[in-house]
Amino acid sequence: MNRDTTNRTSGAGNGADAGGSSAGVAACSPRPSGSSLQSSLGTQIPLPFRRAFQIALQGLRIRLGRSLVTLSGVVLGIAFLMSTVTTQFIDRAVAKDRDARRQVDVMERVLQFRIGSVKGKTLAVARFGALSPMEEALLARVRAAGPEALRLYSDAPAGNGEGVPLAGFARGAAVVLLLGDSPRCPVSLAELTEGMTTRLVLDGRADRVCIPDAEVRRELFLGKQLDTERERQVRQAEADLFRTIWIVVISLAVTVIGVANALLMSVTERFREIGTMKCLGALSSFIRLLFLIESGLIGLTGSIVGAIVGTVATMTVYGFIWGFAATFGGVDHASLFLAGMCAVVVGTILSMLAALYPAWFASRMVPAAALRSTV
Amino acid sequence: MSSAETGEVRGAAPAAAQHSSGRLQSSVDKLLAAGGAAEASGFVIRAVDVSKVYRMGDSETHALRGVTMDIKRGEYLSIMGPSGSGKSTFFNMVGGLDKPTSGKVYIDQVDIAQLDPYELAWLRCRKVGYVFQTFNLIQVMTCLENVTLPMAFAGKNSEEAREKGLEILGLVGLEDRALHKPAEMSGGQQQRVAVARALANSPDILLADEPTANLDLKTGQEIIELFCHLRDKLGVTIITATHDLKMLKASDRIVWIDDGRISRVSSPAELQIDVEEVH
Repeated sequence: MNRDTTNRTSGAGNGADAGGSSAGVAACSPRPSGSSLQSSLGTQIPLPFRRAFQIALQGLRIRLGRSLVTLSGVVLGIAFLMSTVTTQFIDRAVAKDRDARRQVDVMERVLQFRIGSVKGKTLAVARFGALSPMEEALLARVRAAGPEALRLYSDAPAGNGEGVPLAGFARGAAVVLLLGDSPRCPVSLAELTEGMTTRLVLDGRADRVCIPDAEVRRELFLGKQLDTERERQVRQAEADLFRTIWIVVISLAVTVIGVANALLMSVTERFREIGTMKCLGALSSFIRLLFLIESGLIGLTGSIVGAIVGTVATMTVYGFIWGFAATFGGVDHASLFLAGMCAVVVGTILSMLAALYPAWFASRMVPAAALRSTV
Repeated sequence: MSSAETGEVRGAAPAAAQHSSGRLQSSVDKLLAAGGAAEASGFVIRAVDVSKVYRMGDSETHALRGVTMDIKRGEYLSIMGPSGSGKSTFFNMVGGLDKPTSGKVYIDQVDIAQLDPYELAWLRCRKVGYVFQTFNLIQVMTCLENVTLPMAFAGKNSEEAREKGLEILGLVGLEDRALHKPAEMSGGQQQRVAVARALANSPDILLADEPTANLDLKTGQEIIELFCHLRDKLGVTIITATHDLKMLKASDRIVWIDDGRISRVSSPAELQIDVEEVH
């Protein structure tokens, strides 16, 4: 069974043993020359980058479907990252609007707490000085809520259309809203609330000087509530900073895993191909270069598309909430662009790293092992 | 049927094989001299006490247990053996696709374990042509691209490679399907593309693992004729693993591997007698 029937030659084998350094590849024992087959071994020359690029590009083009799947993995990852970043940018841009909106919310809640639903009620609004945007927003909301009537009184010069005679202007109203930035109320609260059953005044300013009246209850719109709201916001901002960093880190991790997964899969499923290429004389460095170019192209394209999609989609969604002017126009364009560029660089490098690892692994395998692998 | 025959053949006395190998070598010498190719000096491949152990966790599989074999230049060697005998492992060793656990493999008297990756790649690119049992064509490339790929690795420019690729595809009768993808072709056609690819850089050694297993009789015959032609006219050393009797008949020497060892070496003439005895 274990019989060796072939000759065990001694001379030639020993010669090769002794001189087997990698530098001198040519056989050590002298051999007859003149035969084309007796050429000594040579050294494989690496293919030029241009040729590798051509082959990589051709590979991408040929397996377009698979490339697009891999690409979409990168697009998703980077789009997610950019949407997180863009959200932070928009948050910053609309912070003022959001604060104002919160304050209006508080005012509306106070109003509701005092008189219940506005619907079907008569409201009187006395305006002294200019209205703040918040107060305007409140009036708009009150109007939209469908009161029976909204009577306006203003100390502004006559002829502006708001001129309701003061006496009994609030008759039958559920509440008088005292708005405007004037530090003092030119008429007494008694005059303002003449004819009301429950003489309630809601004031927008805590420091407004009014002539008090024993029968009139003056409540503040934004007194304590607003102060606590502001305090809450400061605390919130501190917590937000930490949360923002956390979200960006997490989204970066999600991106890393998503992109790496897409590229890992696309390379490992080609182990056999790598083995075949090595059998045909491809250098390990060529295989690494091939996958580096391929993943670089996929990473770059995917990241650019992902960054654009992520940014535009986020801005559009937030645009419906805050207005497109605030999102598309309000953000810091230069910084956002810089963030986008960073995302593209991150995506490209990530893709290359993710592809390089399995390609490196496969290129170092002996071809027989790479050919055996069935992924 | 074939396995029954081989079983019978293996049972035959190995003593006959021993003296036949010497006779065979002299006939190969004559053949090569007639072909006018290489002088039959030295061995193109020498395997010395080659062992291979695969480790899977704690278990060890001995695929080869010390195989020593010398393959002459311009020889047509067939390797036979049941599945799992270490045939493919030996193949991979001889072709420089795998490293032996112990022992040495010399190609052109150079220990391939000593080669750096560049030299090894050069060897695989120009010295050795591989035909795999599973074809291993690159599915996303056309036939022509598959055939020209090794030429690209060898540094040939595209025009030259294209021309030669078409020429070689013509040799295997597939020039009209040059732009088809492997998936659009039959097994036989794919195998012929694989053969064409193996010949791309005019290798000295052609390693073919069951090259006719998936082919019909006629195509198989054509492949055998092609191999004989390569051996006779170009002095290419051909090593095949096969169960195809026609292939065995065409070869100069048949080596039987069983359980990681060479169990016998015989000539096709002997085998022919054995086969006839079986019938």
